[in-house]
Amino acid sequence: MKARTQGRLLSALLCAGALVVAVATAATVSRSSVSYEPPAVTLVRADGKTVSLPRELDDGRPVLLNFIFTTCSSICPLTSRTLEEFQHKLGREAARVHLMSISIDPEQDTPGRLSAYARKFHAGPEWQYYTGTVAASLAAQRAFDVYRGEKMSHTPVTLMRAAPGKPWLRIEGFVTPDELVDDYRHLLTAP
Amino acid sequence: MPNEPRGAALAAALALSLLLWACALSAAPPGPSAGENLYRRGQLPSGEPVQALREGGATVRGADAACVNCHRRSGLGSSEGRITIPPIAGPYLFAPRGKSLEQLRIPFVDTARLNHDPYTDESLARAIREGVGANERPFNYLMPRYQIDDATMAELIAYLKEIKVAPSPGAGTSVLHFATIITPDADPVKRRGMLDVMNQYFVDKNNAAARTKAPTLYSSHTTMFRVERRWQLHVWELSGAPATWEAQLRKHLAAEPVFAVISGLGGSNWGPVHRFCEAQSLPCLFPNVEAPVGHDSDFYSVYFSRGVLLEAQLIARELAEAREPIRRVVQVFRAGDVGEQAARTLQAARTGSAQQIVSRVLKAHGASKDLDAALREVGPTDALVLWLRAQDLKALGAVPVTTSRVWISGEMGGLEQAPLPASWRAAARMAYPVDLPGRRVVRVDYALSWFRIRKIPVIAQQVQADTYLACGLVSETLNHMVDAFVREYLVERLEMALDHRALTGYYPRLTLAPGQRFASKGGYIVRFTEPQGPRVAALGDWITP
Repeated sequence: MKARTQGRLLSALLCAGALVVAVATAATVSRSSVSYEPPAVTLVRADGKTVSLPRELDDGRPVLLNFIFTTCSSICPLTSRTLEEFQHKLGREAARVHLMSISIDPEQDTPGRLSAYARKFHAGPEWQYYTGTVAASLAAQRAFDVYRGEKMSHTPVTLMRAAPGKPWLRIEGFVTPDELVDDYRHLLTAP
Repeated sequence: MPNEPRGAALAAALALSLLLWACALSAAPPGPSAGENLYRRGQLPSGEPVQALREGGATVRGADAACVNCHRRSGLGSSEGRITIPPIAGPYLFAPRGKSLEQLRIPFVDTARLNHDPYTDESLARAIREGVGANERPFNYLMPRYQIDDATMAELIAYLKEIKVAPSPGAGTSVLHFATIITPDADPVKRRGMLDVMNQYFVDKNNAAARTKAPTLYSSHTTMFRVERRWQLHVWELSGAPATWEAQLRKHLAAEPVFAVISGLGGSNWGPVHRFCEAQSLPCLFPNVEAPVGHDSDFYSVYFSRGVLLEAQLIARELAEAREPIRRVVQVFRAGDVGEQAARTLQAARTGSAQQIVSRVLKAHGASKDLDAALREVGPTDALVLWLRAQDLKALGAVPVTTSRVWISGEMGGLEQAPLPASWRAAARMAYPVDLPGRRVVRVDYALSWFRIRKIPVIAQQVQADTYLACGLVSETLNHMVDAFVREYLVERLEMALDHRALTGYYPRLTLAPGQRFASKGGYIVRFTEPQGPRVAALGDWITP
């Protein structure tokens, strides 16, 4: 009985907390430079090939990385559209940037579902989607500090790196396609 | 006078045509309103997709721009990460400033914000078109700016005003009514096992509720405690032919309006129940069904897994990856049992492969010599898929094993308890759509000790554990809902609550989302490790086909 009452009080407080947070986070974008150690896990690419995450990240090209799930109906369609526009705005240069989207709901997001999702966002060949075991996806999420407990708690994060060995640019929030292009050019010219 | 009969005939003709017209109207149910089409599908009255822009120029259109994606079918909003999406059902938009939800008798929703002037039709239209709220603050970047003409806007606003937030039928002020549905072809032992668990769960739930008095602390937030209602279970037992079930269910629902259907038990045909739940906008949560119907795009029916259909996909994957060539796949099932649906699913999954797929249909009931005859011409280059129940598996002892590639259904055979004869154990692999015995033991023990303490005999362990889990999930979800007893909101909150759940019974993980209606996605392929007994070993990792 007591536990029940406490549970309710807790949920009341949590609700109040959620409102405060909602007011505090109005579409702001923040950027930071971070070093990450990608885990040596294997993932399954949307084309069905089993690949190594570090090798996919270190293919020599600048890389842009985000985390999505295909049944996400609010945040992911927006961030995926932003990457689509980013590719479009880069034009022919888009072929020189490796875009990687890793599923945070890998059991649902089979290679087939990821391929359909990629087509919806007109992903060019240089934009690849990844699934795999729950453990592998979690390891990748944790390594890039995007794991938030469960898929419904995820936040929009875009990660960008000019070349292997360089630090990552971490962009939190809803970045616009134009801003993303600026970020990319700035990152390439940075010393 | 001569005019009179003509006049009467004319009147009769008019009456008849009016009647026909009325019949035509009632025969064709009205389609969704223009407002609903826009809200749920992102479709304009012209049939064109709605267009919207985001700050920075990105466009979004059609279904991707539909309000339902974020504000959900209930109109009560949602949250994703740190972003809260407020309710946009009329009462929340037009609520006068300075009053609490409780004063306004509007259900408590944790994403509701009343710190703005009440919207008017004009300010709401501006908000939707320009992304500026009633308090002149711009919306989050997530909210697109819609290009909608005045007439369509009026339709959309009319729809928002119509969204009901009052308690759905079956949610009374002191009682929450639930049903469970049992089809006439359901297994009688499982039926008893399931009802034992449900009846006891409802007794426990009501005893706990009776012990809890609304605390005086936070009395200004009485909405927080309106959730304590007695649970009442209605058992809807169907009879007769499946074609009559939907009508029977409509009658039950009219006589006993319920808020939702919890658990339930089917035989080989759950389709009529699924269709009834979708048509009546009635959540049907986690029935015990071996061959679920419906799609991820349906809304109200939610299942633990795809059951034997998932097994068919697991086996299809094995067949696709077979190292040595398989000339022919022979599927054996009894007419009218769920194996028939599983066999169809497997055949569809292997479309385009070089393997020939054939069916051997046994009579619905019959002697084991049928089985012998069906298997007689299976050779070493064939694969054999047996969609058979325990009794038939037992009878295999008298049948020689002629191929080393045999798959059996775990769900139908009884998982590791399947009485597979020793002579078949080396050749047979089992599709196993639940967690392995050793890994699920702690989670299932939780249910088993609940049964033990309450003296509930365990007669159909998985059905009983799943039923207990279904009741627990609904109870937990209702606790998150406070007093917003809206059927659609129940389904939406369940989608969100499920990821948190640690005690998931037979399943390693349960997750849902909009467009996900089968909570456990995968399974193992296992093999018996001993000539007798229930020891099995996985032949690989958990597979999500």
